[in-house]
Order: sequence, then C-alpha cells, then structure tokens
Amino acid sequence: MNRSQSVKVIIASIVPIILLILPTTTLGIEGLTIIEHRVIAIFFFAAIFWILEPIPIYATSLLIIFFELIMVSNQGLKMLISSPDPTSLGTPLNYKDILFTFASPIIILFLGGFFLAMAATKYRLDQNLARVLLKPFGQQPKWVLLGIMIITAVFSMFMSNTATTAMMLSILAPVLSLFLPEDRGRMAFVLAIPFAANIGGIGTPIGTPPNAVALKYLTGESAISFGEWMLMALPFVLVLMAFCWILLLTIYPIKTPQISLDMKGTWIRNPKAYVVYGTFALTILLWLTDFVHGMNAYVVAMFPVAIFSAFNIINKNDLKNISWDVLWLVSGGIALGLALESSGLAQRMVDVIPFEALHPLIIIMVITVVAMLMANFMSNTATANLILPLVAALGVALSSLDTFGGSKMIILAVTISCSMGMALPISTPPNALAFATGSIETKHMAKPGVMIALVGMLLNYTLMYLLNLVGFFE
Amino acid sequence: MDNLYIVCVDDQRDVLSSLSGDLSPFEDLLMIEECESAREAWDVIESIDQSGDHLAIIITDQVMPEQSGVELLKQLIEDGRFLFTKKILLTGLATHQDTIEAINKTSLDRYIEKPWSSEELHTAIKSLLTGYLLDKGLDYEPYTKILDQQLLLNYLRKTT
Repeated sequence: MNRSQSVKVIIASIVPIILLILPTTTLGIEGLTIIEHRVIAIFFFAAIFWILEPIPIYATSLLIIFFELIMVSNQGLKMLISSPDPTSLGTPLNYKDILFTFASPIIILFLGGFFLAMAATKYRLDQNLARVLLKPFGQQPKWVLLGIMIITAVFSMFMSNTATTAMMLSILAPVLSLFLPEDRGRMAFVLAIPFAANIGGIGTPIGTPPNAVALKYLTGESAISFGEWMLMALPFVLVLMAFCWILLLTIYPIKTPQISLDMKGTWIRNPKAYVVYGTFALTILLWLTDFVHGMNAYVVAMFPVAIFSAFNIINKNDLKNISWDVLWLVSGGIALGLALESSGLAQRMVDVIPFEALHPLIIIMVITVVAMLMANFMSNTATANLILPLVAALGVALSSLDTFGGSKMIILAVTISCSMGMALPISTPPNALAFATGSIETKHMAKPGVMIALVGMLLNYTLMYLLNLVGFFE
Repeated sequence: MDNLYIVCVDDQRDVLSSLSGDLSPFEDLLMIEECESAREAWDVIESIDQSGDHLAIIITDQVMPEQSGVELLKQLIEDGRFLFTKKILLTGLATHQDTIEAINKTSLDRYIEKPWSSEELHTAIKSLLTGYLLDKGLDYEPYTKILDQQLLLNYLRKTT
C-alpha cells in the first residue's frame, strides 16, 4: 500500500469512525439501540468505501462481514456485545447468519452461472455460437451491427458482461481496421458491444450481480422465478436494444459499404464437449420450467456445478478462475442487508423518516434516479448493495406504494436502474474495455450513453406501470 | 501500486540512450533503468527485488565485456525469482551459436536485431508487458493504455 492509498483510506475512515464513537443518544433517533448504532456506522463505512474505493470493492464487502461479526454478532468481542442493560444494547445478530452469506443460495446461483460460462468458454461454445448466429445477418453494416448487439445481449444474460464484451470486441477487432478512416461508424460498432452487454445483463437473474442482490429481497410473497424474471425483463431489453441500435446508427452513421466478419472455427466434437452443450441446454431449460419439476433456480444452479465437476470439465485449475471477488462483493451486500434488517434498524429508519408524507411516485422517481446516477460513477453491484436494502424496507413499510406494485415493483425498478450505468468508461467494466480499444473518446460514449440511460429510465417506469396493470406484482 | 521496471543493458552509452529515448512513451507508467554492464544490471535487479517491485522486462545486448547477454539471461532464469520476467535480446552481433543458445537455454521472448525500429520495439514491449502482468497475476488495470488489447481481451474472455 503506497502513501496516497493510505491517505485515502484514512480520509474515508473518518466519518464511520466518528459515527461509531459518538454516544448513541447524540444521533437523535429515539429508541436507537447500540447494535443499531453500530450498524449505521458500518453502513456509512460501506457507502463511503464503495463510493471512493480506497480499497478494492470486494475488500470492503469482506470488511463489512468482519465488522459485523466482531461488533454486532452473538460471537463478537465480549466487551462490545455484553452490556448491563440489554434493552439499550439491542439484539446481537446470529454469527451463523452472517457467515452463511458466503454460501447463500444467491451465491450458489451465481456459481452455477460461472460454471456454465467457464465451460462454454473452455469448449468454445460461445465463439462457435457467435459465429453461427452472426451468419444470417449478412454483410450489410447495419444488420451486422444488429446481429452483434443481439448476440452480445443474449450471451451477457448467461455469461458475465465483461467476458461477453471481451469476446465480442476481439471478434470485432480485425474488422475495425477495414473501416474507412473517416468513417465514424466504427464507433457505433465499438459502443454497441458494451451497451448491449449492459442492457442484456438485465435479462436474467444471473445476467449481472445487481439482479442477484435483488433476489435477496424478493422473497416470500414477492418471490420471483427465473422464468418470471425473464418474462418481465425481456420486453424491456428488446425495446431498449432497438432504441440503442437506431440511436447508434443515427449518431454514428456507417459509411463503409460492406463488413464481413470472417470467423474461423469448428464445433468441438468429443464426449466432453457434448456434455457441455447438453448441460448448458438442460440448465436453461430447468431454470425456465420450475413450475413443472419444482426445483427452484438455486437448486438448478447446482446442475452445471455437479455435472462439470464430475466429468472433470471444470478442473481444479479452472476453479481458480472463478471471480471470487464478484461473489464476495455480493456476499457483503447480503450481509449489509441482513444487518440492517435483523437489527431492526431498517424498520426504525422507515418509522422515523416521514416517507408517508411524500407522494409515492416522487419516492420511486428519486430512488431510481439516484441508483442510476450512482451506477454511472461506481460499481453497479455496490450501488445495488447500498440502495436495495433500504428500498426493500421502505417497500414493505410504505403502504402508499401498494397501489403501484408495492415492494416488488420498487425493488425491480431500482435493480433495472442499477444497470443503466452507460455513460462513462468508468461506469461498467464493458464500457472500460470498449474505451481501451482507443477507437472512442469519453464524449463519444457519453452522448449515446446518457440518452440510452434516460430512455431506459422512462421505459423502466412504463414497464412497471404495465406490469402493475396486468397484476404481475400481486 | 508496485512499480514495474524495464532494465536495459548495453555497454555502449549511445545505444542505451537511444533505447531509452524509444521507451520514453512508457515512462509515465513504468520505470526504465539503464545499465552499462551485466554486473551493474544485477545490482539494479537486486535492488528492484528488495524494494518489492517487479522486473517486468529485461532488454540486453549480447556482446559485452565480462558477461554476455545470454549468460546474464541464463543466470536470471536460474535464479527462480524472475521466472515471469520477459527477456529481449537486442543485438547486431550475436553468432548463430549465441542465438541458438539464447532460444534454447534462456526461453527468450524476443530477438530484436540492431538497428531496431521503434515501432517493433513498442509492439514487443506492449505484448510482453501484458503477458508479464497476466502471468504474474498483477493488477493490469492501471496499465490498460499501454497493453496489447487483443491479448487482454483474450484473457478477459475467461472472466466469470
């Protein structure tokens, strides 16, 4: 750790530490317990560290879990969690619940997605599918662009947005040099990939980590199945993609008359590869047909994990390539939500702050716009980690929201907003990759990015309105 | 972030300065050291290692008094601490035998002939640096600007 980094850590720590050492009564919240007080400090720590990123975002997640274990769990430091007056202390959290966040069903769902993606890449299923699927789009640039966008979006529903973008950009790279030098159409192609990956991620529960975080709060009556999620999200993805395609063609018209993506490769034909193809299809089928077989998405996620391990398709070495940082980032978010909920703090905040006085539509607007803005400047997952637990508590407590779809609606609306980070190279890893090709400058990305995010937000509200009409939230 | 070093070794002062001139586009992000002999190079390498920094690339001439370039590289891979370090032999005078030995015994990464073109050198540095960062598992993000994009994309395809 060098000096400037240490300075950042110290600066970022000031507010949470002050919050922590202030006497509980000075916070001015009636009935606030010491445990709740500490959770507030942990929440501010998380918010500040995720926004300023003095340490990697997954490290912040791990620290959340660590601090919760030490300061607010029933196995924490004795002098911190024992008090002569148990009512002022509040109820400590069960340490097992905190540790279970590492293996929460949501984490397993993502692990299943990771196994699918790893096997697909290893057996070149992704590349071969892309090759076959791109063929029908011919050589006319605007259709090739559409083809690339559709394939990127579909892949990013099941693979990470980053891996999808990397694959599609490397397919595109040899073509970029064929563009006429003054043709701005090159930018349409380079931007289409990250935008389509960002939008496509909304399509399934495993498409992008914010969706996973949302699943944590969509329980009980508001639970949502894999198929229901896709039913809800796909129309949104389709319309926004169409808009994105037309927008890019308008802003960066393609002058090059013909584009041929010359992709070589053949399907791998050996028993292991067939197992991969079969398992891929089976898993998706099972995810979509839970109403037939009764296994929920989390259980189905174990199919690829079990099958690929058993056939040694994913071996010991491949396991090292799992993005534990992504999983732990989500775990930390779940742990933060758990602490807010179990300590009773979430409920208390909703009680103390007079949300009822505000019109529910204003609340929805403000929260979704804040989420969208945050997602443009920081990690989408960290945004979801911070906002969704508050939104979930609000959704349950605020009866005025019920006519608009209640907590399920607002959670989904916020989750979609978390994927509207499109405008800047720092907004998402796919954006950063496209930017790194050197074909575009920030302003070239910002102009269409902002427009897509704004139209996406309008579309988001429309979707929620329509879903409420058809009774999706009931 | 820990510093990454490129160490250049050549007994001719003017070659060294033209080499480091050609490497100047990388100076913002990498540390570039000039050494006039293999012995001096070892001093520099030891101090890089001791301060916890990384020897990413070594560029060496073949024909030098005392220790030759190939001998220096051989010693480097035998050391064990620098397994990931990328090795470039930059020479106009290597014999056929030297070249064979360099390829077989030092797992040489690039053989560049003098006089070199700066474009060739830049391409080599970018791709070797990318390889070094990814092989060693270092954080590549700060260096994205000077990396080989295609190599990086291929690597990131495996991201889960």
